[in-house]
Amino acid sequence: MRRPLPLRVLLPLAAAIGTLPAAAAPDYLREVKPILTQHCVRCHGAAKEEAGLRLDTAANARLGGASGSVVRTSGGRESLLLAVVLNTHEDIPAMPYKKPPLGAAEIALLKAWVEAGAPAPEQEEPGRFDHWAYRPPARPPIPVVSAAPAGWTGNPIDAFILQRLAAVKLAPAPEADRVTLLRRASFDLIGLPPSPAEVDAFLADQAPGAWERVVDRLLASPHHGERWARPWLDVARYGDSNGYSIDAPRQIWKYRDWVVSALNRDLPYDQFIIEQLAGDLLPGATLDQRIATGFNRNTQINQEGGIDPEQFRIESVLDRVNTFGTAFLGLTVSCAQCHDHKFDPISHREYYQLFAFFNNSVDDGHGGRRSRSTGVLTLSPDGKVDEGLEARVAEVQEQLEALFTTHAAALEAWRQALPADQRKAQRSASLRAALDVPWEKQTFAQRRSVYPLARPGDAGFKTLSARLTDLQRPVPGAITTLVMEELPEPRASHLFVQGDFTRLGERVEPGTPAILPPLRSAGPRPNRLDLARWTADPNHPLTARVIVNRVWQQYFGLGLVETENDFGSQGLPPSHPELLDWLASEFVARGWSLKALHRLIVTSATYRQSSHAREDLALVDPLNRLLSRQQRLRLDAELVRDAALTASGRLEPRLGGPPVYPPQPDGVMSLGQVKREWKASTGEDRYRRGLYTHFWRATPHPALAVFDAADGFSSCTRRLRSNTPLQALTLLNDQQFYEFAEGLAERVLRERPRAPLAEQLEHAFRLSTARRPSALERERLAALHARRLAAETGEPGARERAAWIAVARVLLNLDETITRE
Amino acid sequence: MTPPLPPQTWPDFLAGRTRRHFLSRCAVGLGGIALASMLNQARGATPAPAGPLTPRPTHFPARARNVIYLFMAGGPSQLELFDHKPKLNELNGQPIPQSFIEGKRFAFMDSSHGTRLMGSRRQFARHGRSGMWVSELFPHTARIVDELTMVKSCQATLFNHAPAKLFMNTGSGQFGRPSMGSWLNYGLGSECQDLPGFVVLQSGPRGPRGGAVNWGSGFLPTTYQGVPFRGSGEPILNLTRPAAVTADGQRDALDALRDLNLQRAVATGDPEIATRIAAYEMASRMQSSAPDLIDLKAESAATLKLYGIEDQRPSFARNCLLARRLVERGVRFVQLYHTNWDSHGGPGENLQGDFEKVCREVDQGQAALVQDLKDRGLLKDTLVIWGGEFGRTPMGENRDTTGRNHHIDAFTMWFAGGGVKAGEVIGETDELGFNAVKEPMHVHDLHATILHLLGLDHTKLTFRFQGRDFRLTDVHGKVNHRMFA
Repeated sequence: MRRPLPLRVLLPLAAAIGTLPAAAAPDYLREVKPILTQHCVRCHGAAKEEAGLRLDTAANARLGGASGSVVRTSGGRESLLLAVVLNTHEDIPAMPYKKPPLGAAEIALLKAWVEAGAPAPEQEEPGRFDHWAYRPPARPPIPVVSAAPAGWTGNPIDAFILQRLAAVKLAPAPEADRVTLLRRASFDLIGLPPSPAEVDAFLADQAPGAWERVVDRLLASPHHGERWARPWLDVARYGDSNGYSIDAPRQIWKYRDWVVSALNRDLPYDQFIIEQLAGDLLPGATLDQRIATGFNRNTQINQEGGIDPEQFRIESVLDRVNTFGTAFLGLTVSCAQCHDHKFDPISHREYYQLFAFFNNSVDDGHGGRRSRSTGVLTLSPDGKVDEGLEARVAEVQEQLEALFTTHAAALEAWRQALPADQRKAQRSASLRAALDVPWEKQTFAQRRSVYPLARPGDAGFKTLSARLTDLQRPVPGAITTLVMEELPEPRASHLFVQGDFTRLGERVEPGTPAILPPLRSAGPRPNRLDLARWTADPNHPLTARVIVNRVWQQYFGLGLVETENDFGSQGLPPSHPELLDWLASEFVARGWSLKALHRLIVTSATYRQSSHAREDLALVDPLNRLLSRQQRLRLDAELVRDAALTASGRLEPRLGGPPVYPPQPDGVMSLGQVKREWKASTGEDRYRRGLYTHFWRATPHPALAVFDAADGFSSCTRRLRSNTPLQALTLLNDQQFYEFAEGLAERVLRERPRAPLAEQLEHAFRLSTARRPSALERERLAALHARRLAAETGEPGARERAAWIAVARVLLNLDETITRE
Repeated sequence: MTPPLPPQTWPDFLAGRTRRHFLSRCAVGLGGIALASMLNQARGATPAPAGPLTPRPTHFPARARNVIYLFMAGGPSQLELFDHKPKLNELNGQPIPQSFIEGKRFAFMDSSHGTRLMGSRRQFARHGRSGMWVSELFPHTARIVDELTMVKSCQATLFNHAPAKLFMNTGSGQFGRPSMGSWLNYGLGSECQDLPGFVVLQSGPRGPRGGAVNWGSGFLPTTYQGVPFRGSGEPILNLTRPAAVTADGQRDALDALRDLNLQRAVATGDPEIATRIAAYEMASRMQSSAPDLIDLKAESAATLKLYGIEDQRPSFARNCLLARRLVERGVRFVQLYHTNWDSHGGPGENLQGDFEKVCREVDQGQAALVQDLKDRGLLKDTLVIWGGEFGRTPMGENRDTTGRNHHIDAFTMWFAGGGVKAGEVIGETDELGFNAVKEPMHVHDLHATILHLLGLDHTKLTFRFQGRDFRLTDVHGKVNHRMFA
């Protein structure tokens, strides 16, 4: 599959080669090695030897690989190296593989070097694959920008942005008007629109620092945690059901509430990582820190009959590794599940070293029905855990075990002597099965069921067993949540050949990829806590960059690194590398404070620009990568609901608690394999924020799914923003949105009774979009109101209400209402 | 300030203003073009603007334009329907030779999985000019065999229902990958202005295992996801306007909404608003086109009789007729799910009465569909696909009654129309029906071949996600040119 180089590449190339005297041997270390290192050693180096070839030293290049030396020329033929970079080889595809060809000057250097006999110093240090994201961020100086526009001088972010804009002679957009700004920041920081009173207050505050005061007010709101929990829950693949085909409900909302609370109290991000990855392993782990480990438990559980539970336990572990890579490292480590990563220096073996960190938890692959301890934390209805309970359970269990040991011989003798018909006559299948197992091999539960048959008069046993039942009896209304819990002895972890868990390869120990900083371990064998601390190290090249980029993405639609889920070599380079590194180092310097990062971004002039399209960008920067304006962004699924709900005046602002069931169309739940009930909540729970809607993975609430909510199956780092007819049908006809329109209509008539129509319309418009309508817009709505009033029948009050519902439906369907501008 | 205008002239007014103030200085912007086109449309002129569903050219000339995929959920037994194995009958009750099952994994391995061969109790006969084997359970299908390409050597990778169904639909057992119908709409666009390009219909006692992910768009934009229609009542969620809203009221609201959105589009210059306006117009058209679709009043008594539709109740046959009506309206990909083919031998799942029942439920409808498409000249452009997520083992499984376990090494699917060879058998299994011994066609090969029929090169239909280019066929797939007419 050879494609000839285009003429425009070949011509200057020929010219360049022609002008270089053959004898002028380039300086290998200074001129040749960087080319090889940058373009070749990723696949032909120490980490990976494609075709048996390494090009990390000149000696290795001379030695060659499967096709022989790459620098030797024989019989007037071109060297292999030149043939492949010029794409003149018969069989070997053009190099660099599936990448743009080398430049003419680079090829000329290689040619000259090869023709000079590939000279190089002895004792050469092998070249290493180098990629920006694997180097720790160096804090760059803040650029000095001459002639910055007014308001663009105080915030370092703006200096970085202006510097790039100046290079292409673009001026930033003007600042958005105050109403737009307040609505933008309200959605961005708390996920709710501003009330007309808040708008008025901000418009009235002409003192310096008004904007900063608004930002601080919003950052202090308890709704801030709700707004920012959502993208994190997407990354954590949160859902309220087990997934796969059975999709039984699960309780793990305590973890959701933990995220909201952690963000509200600005838990430093390094601690945020550590508690979620390994809170259970922290010395003296608190209840909250154990709940945080639910992050790892948001895996699906397959409860289908006939499955191999081990297969699905392993699926969960693989998912934890992949999610770890995506969430914290921004790397596609999952590529190394079946083979060495094709593009990044993560080997197949290193993948399973990461796997080994996560392979030691007690949960099984079948939802815990087959093991005694399953990583489920039980809390009393008021959210407390009976701290002594586990110890008391363990104590009784130990006493029972002692009893079992004492009578082991007698029990086994009794079992063997038991006539077959008595065995068959036992009431339960599990008891019959237990009687077939030698006493030595029976589980605790089996022994506990067999013992009273063999020793019916043992009062000591009866007391202990009753006590255990008592201790383990669920408290009515108890809350459970899934957590990580480590096995006493770690499982042996192996590499899976081609990712197939039935084909065990070599045994592996926990470890981190060699390209990244070394792992420090507190104990003899590294565990999840060591991995968590390694991830949260201030010098980790990826952690801070990845999170600041994701936060940035929420504010501008795209990250500085557009491929927010791939910082590897296949990802796109950052649009503003210095800004990314400055933000990352600033973030760490400010104690990993997410709120400080939010404040930094939102108070920049870059953030405050108008989002209107700019005709002068059409050719220069159509995707707005240089940020010479803000971006209109359709609200996320949950916020589409929250915006209309707030306008309706019916929002119940309570935080946290079990998921709720706002109305949804009939028939949604029958789409899954197992038909489940959806009984719409009544009272306050009908009007909670979208964050709290019960999320069935197999049959998500259609108003969430249709607006691109994350599916909860795998880690989601960026949502799509689709724009479809089904969204239109949802906003137009869905029962809950109709109820919101009724609410808005009633609210306007309640809050502006007997006011002139124009004033009422203005109020309704402000409740939906925060701004006042233009005369044209008001006119158009008035025409609709008049038309509907004339068309409706019945008594005047009912007609008025119906006309107003029509107006409210239009307002809640406006593109602007569901968009943050 | 601009004086207020009568509402009906808004699009004209805005079009003028837009041209003057925005388009004239921004003629190259995609947004500008979409917006101009939108304004023209609102004024009753010119077609819809380019969007994600605009028909797109194929990689090479297509043999088929549309697909109707009859998904037999649960895994129908090929050994009771198409793959006639006299030797298996002869060895009934014998243990299967170890060489067949060495190193293989099966579902329910620990419990009911059997290792003794079980012959089929069904009578088989050759049918049509092609002489294809079909059992007594499919008398109607037996009459259309000369239209079919029957592939007896299908192979899959996963043996549990939900992942296997995902695999058949998306080429992967992982959740989050786009299904075939989504890929086709992404690759080809939609030919239908009034309905989604990918419609799903369901029948049988329950939904298919895995549910909505089987027709999900995965990482592709949700525009491409399958839209489940119900066979009766309201065919799409939220299609009906709220009870208190009249048709006039809805139209008035939509008009005002369009005008205000246009105003905002002009003010902000954001092309997304143009897309949204178009989405509302499509939604509005669907409110009439979808009820019209499921209203069978216009179908003749002869047609209803051909399908065996006798009443208003939802059924597979009714869905087959709806599938034809969808394809007539230009819908690209129609997928029918029918349960329950999971014949383990448990309650309601045996290979006797239960199996006969599910065969009766589909036989007449599927044969009528092929016949009806042919009679109307639609079959040449429409590829009909029939099959489950896997087949069943030659070994019997004994639960309450007889059944067979899941089997992925050889099973039968059939294809009709859309450029496949009529009256052709592809592949062959060994004398026990265990392995595909000739022309094995793995799911990836089926996908590659199906895309080819639609004019798409499966290696070129890609989408970049999480740093790599994904395909329906992953890194696999071989087109079987022998299937083509």
